[in-house]
Amino acid sequence: MSTTEARLDSQDAVLGNVLLQHEVEQFYFHESGLLDEHRYAEWIALFTDDTHYFMPLRRTVPRRQLHREFTKPGEMAFFDETKELLATRVEKLNTGTAWAEDPPSRTRHLITNIRIAEQNGGELVVQSNFMLYRTRLKSDVDVWVGRRDDTLRRTSDGLAIARRFIYLDQTVLQSANLSNFF
Amino acid sequence: MEPTTSIVDELDDLVSYERGEIDRRIFSDQEIFDLEMKHIFGRAWLFLCHETQIPRRGDFFEAPMGTDNVLVVRQRDGSIKAFLNTCSHRGNAVCRAEEGNVRNFMCTYHGWTFGLDGELVGVPGKQMFYKDKLDLSEHPLRKVAQLDSYRGFVFATFDETAPPLGEYLGATGRLGLDLIAERGDMEAVPGVQKFVVKTNWKFTVDNVFDYYHPQITHMSAFAVGTLKAPTPDVMDGGALTEEGARLEVPFLPTDLHNLVMVGEYGHAISGPEQSALEENIGHVTPFEWRYKPETQARLGDVGSRVAGHPHIFPTAWVTAIGQLSLRVPRSPDETEIWWFSFRDRNATEEQKAAALSTQIHFFGPAGMLEQEDGENWSQSTLQTQGHKSREVPQLLKMGLNTVDIHRKDGLAFIEAPINEHGQMWTYLAWREWLRNPSWDELRERTVPGDRL
Repeated sequence: MSTTEARLDSQDAVLGNVLLQHEVEQFYFHESGLLDEHRYAEWIALFTDDTHYFMPLRRTVPRRQLHREFTKPGEMAFFDETKELLATRVEKLNTGTAWAEDPPSRTRHLITNIRIAEQNGGELVVQSNFMLYRTRLKSDVDVWVGRRDDTLRRTSDGLAIARRFIYLDQTVLQSANLSNFF
Repeated sequence: MEPTTSIVDELDDLVSYERGEIDRRIFSDQEIFDLEMKHIFGRAWLFLCHETQIPRRGDFFEAPMGTDNVLVVRQRDGSIKAFLNTCSHRGNAVCRAEEGNVRNFMCTYHGWTFGLDGELVGVPGKQMFYKDKLDLSEHPLRKVAQLDSYRGFVFATFDETAPPLGEYLGATGRLGLDLIAERGDMEAVPGVQKFVVKTNWKFTVDNVFDYYHPQITHMSAFAVGTLKAPTPDVMDGGALTEEGARLEVPFLPTDLHNLVMVGEYGHAISGPEQSALEENIGHVTPFEWRYKPETQARLGDVGSRVAGHPHIFPTAWVTAIGQLSLRVPRSPDETEIWWFSFRDRNATEEQKAAALSTQIHFFGPAGMLEQEDGENWSQSTLQTQGHKSREVPQLLKMGLNTVDIHRKDGLAFIEAPINEHGQMWTYLAWREWLRNPSWDELRERTVPGDRL
């Protein structure tokens, strides 16, 4: 292979990565828009049927015991959802009597620092940072910042979320509830 | 000079049994809060943690006692001790972690080091700077006055004159903890959910006994089947939507058959009868543990009829799904909620997973039920701060002075439809605690009468 061909191959690889990064970013921006516009039925459709949506508890531990910082599946968590359970949460929001979201919260999902960590066949392992800003009623403000570890799967309808683990940067949760999605 | 008046001089008026009214100022007054910390949280036996959270020597868990924080520590001999998490030198927290395992606690300010038993075992510069004149034995971490366990549940009190734990809990409090312990070989599920609600702690306690709110507050959870939906023959109108439509409130058969228990020192139980609950659900599968002969014997005839909501004064709520919810007062209008969850070690993996999923999906900040509670309480607290709003009394008139109290197995109980007896009992006891009587007087004044 000539040096020119090698350079072109390398450029193709870079371009491929740029396009993939763009595709993943666009997917997340679309998803965030659905949540902030309360289009939950469309949002839930972005998850695979075998999805696992999990938000562990976080604890303040010494540096040498950091392996114990987060709880694991099978232990206590804030969210531990199958697709069916997530769908029930969406259904609840649509009942007209889910007072925690009526009047609705005003939310803004900011998704940044998107890193495609692995590509395995039809699946991508993607890490991203989020900030979820929420205001309610006259003056209630909540801010959650953290990291999401997703597995995105290629399906005939495009990318879908096959796994989402949400790691909050809080131990004692500084809000009265978690009635929004991450 | 006129003597300064104190809100405490008005205690009889702040909680009025005769009118069934509570003065809203008790939910936001700083003087009241400070007295609660001193006379209630400074004296009562308070739940700290479960023994299985700290199984090995050196295991610790930081627990709240009112606005103080204590380290609950498993000792070398297997016993448990608890002491304030504050260095005897400058007051810095000697431990910054919520839980973990250590050989000793070293203060990161000057290096004072304390053993697992709280004794001061090391001081840098003991010879050079203190000239060997510091008696280490005089400066341990400050211990709680008494610590004891009931069936794995660890409690402590700052008052050395407090009665023994078993006596403090009484038949009502012990029954509450039995309703977790009897489920099997119980251990704490790793992870304590902790979150903050902008509310006075008493609103969170009031809600424990409140079976009047689920049908409205948690209407959406009924609608999607998290809670078993009621049969349509117990509809009762009364509510109208913002658009003027008649909102049929779907009350449950269980709402007509509640069991209330009131006990010395302010403990209480209020909720549906177990038989009504089983009839509503249509099967007994989740309750098989109740029907072991030894469990029936332990709970007794009346105790085994309790489906829910024991509360150990001042702030420990035992749920009907094997959890203990601790309400931690941080300021007059801020309360932390801590969820301790339990499972049977001998259950199958499927049973454990199902129980955990129920616990996660009912309560906690993302729980299908508890999501809705916080804003009710924070808005109620906010309204107690309005100069005129706080003059509106809080009402506790439901069922007031209409029922007789019966007695059996050391329990004082009431049979009634949904009511507010549990709340009223708690506030009446709260009033007596604030007068700061001797333990004997406190007990005498909180012995249930013949009617409530």
